[in-house]
Amino acid sequence: MEVIMEQMPIVIRSLNIGFLQTLKLFFVTLAGALPLGLVIAFGSMSRFRPVSWLTRIVVWIVRGTPLMIQLLIIYYFPGLVLGNPIWGSGESGRFVAASVAFVFNYACYFSEIYRGGIQSVPVGQEEAGLVLGMTRSQIFFKVTLLQMIKRIVPPMSNEIITLVKDTSLARIIALQEIIWAGQAFLKGSQGISGEIWPLFFTALYYLVFSGVLTVLLGKLEQKLNYFR
Amino acid sequence: MKKWIAVMLAGMMTVGALTGCGSSQTVVTENPAETEEEAGTDEEAQAEDAAAVEEVAAEESDMAYVQGKGTLVVGITDFAPMDYKDENGEWIGFDADMAKAFAESLGVEAEFVEINWDNKVLELDGKTIDCVWNGMTLTEEVLSAMECSSAYCNNAQVVIVPADVADQYQDTDSLSDLTFAVEAGSAGEEQVAALGLNYTPVTAQSDALMEVAAGTSDAAVIDSLMAAAMVGEGTGYEDLTYTIGLNSEEYGVGFRKGSDLAAALNEFFAASYADGSMQTVAETYSVQAALIEQ
Repeated sequence: MEVIMEQMPIVIRSLNIGFLQTLKLFFVTLAGALPLGLVIAFGSMSRFRPVSWLTRIVVWIVRGTPLMIQLLIIYYFPGLVLGNPIWGSGESGRFVAASVAFVFNYACYFSEIYRGGIQSVPVGQEEAGLVLGMTRSQIFFKVTLLQMIKRIVPPMSNEIITLVKDTSLARIIALQEIIWAGQAFLKGSQGISGEIWPLFFTALYYLVFSGVLTVLLGKLEQKLNYFR
Repeated sequence: MKKWIAVMLAGMMTVGALTGCGSSQTVVTENPAETEEEAGTDEEAQAEDAAAVEEVAAEESDMAYVQGKGTLVVGITDFAPMDYKDENGEWIGFDADMAKAFAESLGVEAEFVEINWDNKVLELDGKTIDCVWNGMTLTEEVLSAMECSSAYCNNAQVVIVPADVADQYQDTDSLSDLTFAVEAGSAGEEQVAALGLNYTPVTAQSDALMEVAAGTSDAAVIDSLMAAAMVGEGTGYEDLTYTIGLNSEEYGVGFRKGSDLAAALNEFFAASYADGSMQTVAETYSVQAALIEQ
């Protein structure tokens, strides 16, 4: 126990640095995937067939392959096949590559949730809007959007909490997020070696963060309860 | 029916577009002179220039490529006493110090990048790093995938068992009824596979140790340099110890296949061994006993 107390400050500092990367990846992914998902949702609902089919094929590929493989391909493909390592070798390049993979992957999942939300709004409302002489974009922003948001909060919460934990996949391309930081003490880092507890300790970070998110998303859901 | 036709058409278009890219890329790499006229946007021009540079580098010299960009990117893992961080976050260790000195001799700066050890060949070939310099055992796999320097350090693969049963496992015959944990793709895995032992591959040597500590495997096989630092009294694994060595092996530095940097490093090693600077660095990190004459 004493030993653990001695190691605690070093481990916590290291885990905090790792967790900062985890958080950065999490927020960048959300900021990118939330709007991009909506664009993809419109693509897959497009009445112009080639667009909708192409979008659905892309969504199929992205959702149908493991995120880990996508990370490997996005990070290594440019250097291996095109001979131009566009991401660079440092930590920042790895972060950008990981962000691209995560944003695209999550946008595809979000797009299907958006589509479900939009299509769950009764078509009669759209028809009513048309009868009143509203344009399609007016109908979307003034009638459909808020109802859609209300309906998609529970499934989105699910995906968002999954995203918190999925960020750990980025260690495959050596992004030094919190699990990487915890595992470093197993092999030896900063004079501490062969310690398993820092790795297990990382679970606490995830647990607290997803707890905070659960509360926040729950509050959002309550706020949107205005139709009942 | 119509929908299916649409799907197939879209699919064919995608494939067509992709292969289209592929073939034009081949043209680019085969014929760098032509690309400049064809280059449309800046981005394309950049990509194609890089492709052209890459080709030149591959044909002429990896050293020129490294000197051109001014940094030697060294792929490492946190691995005392070869590459590890001091209190200021600076990378030090026997390998790190030698890498800095080698980079200096080339007139470039050494940049250390932590990599996922499983992907070291990908990192090299993808040019995200320029060499692997991290107490890497020169196995047949490594020698076939990389351009390696001459060996500079001796090592062995040793068996790790719980200390209280260590005296039962002092020869290779006694190991046959144990289950082993070894790092996938490591020299340790080669050894246990060659002996026909029962083993589970895990992602890192440290995970192999954890398996033994947790009792999920009976024994592990890891590097002796690492074993000396990680098991026994005063370490995190006080209840474990190491017994016999299964082989003797050597550490080397890996470069991209065909790179001229390996030969340059051999010269550098020979020069620093001759003037004693290599021995001085080795003594700093207590690895002088394992050092190989250059």
